[in-house]
Amino acid sequence: MSARRLSSLASALVLFMLLCLLPASAETLGPRQFIESLGEETIGAITRENISEEARFGEFERLFRMAFDIDAISRFVLGRYWRRATKEQQREYQSLFADFIVHTYASRFRQYSGETLAVNGEREASGRDTIVSSQINTPEGPSVRVDWRVRTKRDDHKIVDVIVEGVSMAITQRHEFASVIRRGGEGIETLIAELRKKSKPTN
Amino acid sequence: MTLTGRFVIRALSAAFAANVVLAACATPPADDPEARAELAAINDPWEPFNRAVFEFNRAVDQVLFEPVAQAYRGVVPDFGREMVKNFLNNLRSPVILANDVLQGEKDRAGDTGSRLMANTIFGLGGLFDITEIEFHNEDFGQTLAVWGVDEGPYLVLPLLGPSPIRDTVGLVGDTLMDPVFWYAHNTEHYAIPWVRFGMRANDTRSRNIETLDEIERGAIDFYATVRSLYRQRRNDEILNGKPPQSVPMAEISWDEDEEAETNQASAVVK
Repeated sequence: MSARRLSSLASALVLFMLLCLLPASAETLGPRQFIESLGEETIGAITRENISEEARFGEFERLFRMAFDIDAISRFVLGRYWRRATKEQQREYQSLFADFIVHTYASRFRQYSGETLAVNGEREASGRDTIVSSQINTPEGPSVRVDWRVRTKRDDHKIVDVIVEGVSMAITQRHEFASVIRRGGEGIETLIAELRKKSKPTN
Repeated sequence: MTLTGRFVIRALSAAFAANVVLAACATPPADDPEARAELAAINDPWEPFNRAVFEFNRAVDQVLFEPVAQAYRGVVPDFGREMVKNFLNNLRSPVILANDVLQGEKDRAGDTGSRLMANTIFGLGGLFDITEIEFHNEDFGQTLAVWGVDEGPYLVLPLLGPSPIRDTVGLVGDTLMDPVFWYAHNTEHYAIPWVRFGMRANDTRSRNIETLDEIERGAIDFYATVRSLYRQRRNDEILNGKPPQSVPMAEISWDEDEEAETNQASAVVK
């Protein structure tokens, strides 16, 4: 089978899986089960054999856009600068931010080598947010402690932050963006220009 | 060596000069409380100097630490590197034990003490880890934090990397409570602490090659990213991995943006 046919087959499969998953997560599952099933699905998707790099990236992007509250994350990460931006800047920033995250994190999944996710608890964070704690176990080497901040709106769960060994991805990104904007001297335009550079395919 | 020395001096003096010039610019506008709060939270008054040292460290890493770590991983087999790691951990155990005690962590002190005894005697001086007890690290910077000492301004040290004032004081404290340092000092084997420093740096670096590369590749402002990562990681270490009782970083709320949005919406309505 050609690579192209394989990859379209793979995307069809993912689409099918997503359709199966969506109604289920909308009704009965709590934040904990949401993370558990997402973990299984992600590992299933990236470990499928004979899958092209392109299709893998596509699957990661679809899972990411489905499971993460990109709107809330991008706003949190921009912090006080969000309010100062025009509607147009906000829109452009949000779309660039999503691409930027997908490019940055998809490449990290390339190094997958048999890790498994074990959810081991959940606790309330604030109002509608729950922290689901888990361990990512590697075949060799120490396990990694990962907390998922899950926001529930109308029985729908979305991830808003991933905290690895006490390091919050959202807070790190927020601190970095604040520094870029402060040093650039041209407000959010500096950040937009940098994000445009980063999300180019050459990177 | 003299070349490196001259390079350090030039980089540092340039950084100091830049610091003087930029000090005026770094003052936030008095009428912007948010900008002032942000600068206070960042607490990096020597940022231009720190950035220069950071770049210097990166250059040294590129030509020295990373290639050596790569070669180390390529040449020395897994079990050999494991033995080096065990040995270094064991050598550091007296300092960890002292800090466990100073923090009043009885169970953790017991863990460290048992590991030290068992591995030194039955693990051939620490080359093998024969215990089932998990290793944990501690240092005097963490002890100071547990005692309630503030982190202080951010600082990047040449070769040692990020080390805010509290952690720099901590480094001195750890050295003074380290039997290996005193043994080397008293027997005039001054090379021992340096050799050990090199081995520890190399051991750590060799286990973080991919992670650091990934972070650098994804970063727009690598310096700011590392500053944030370092502080969050330290806070987690200080709490020994337990979830914080209060909200970490009070200046950041996950709800503020939506609140702001609501305010904005109501302002528009008016």
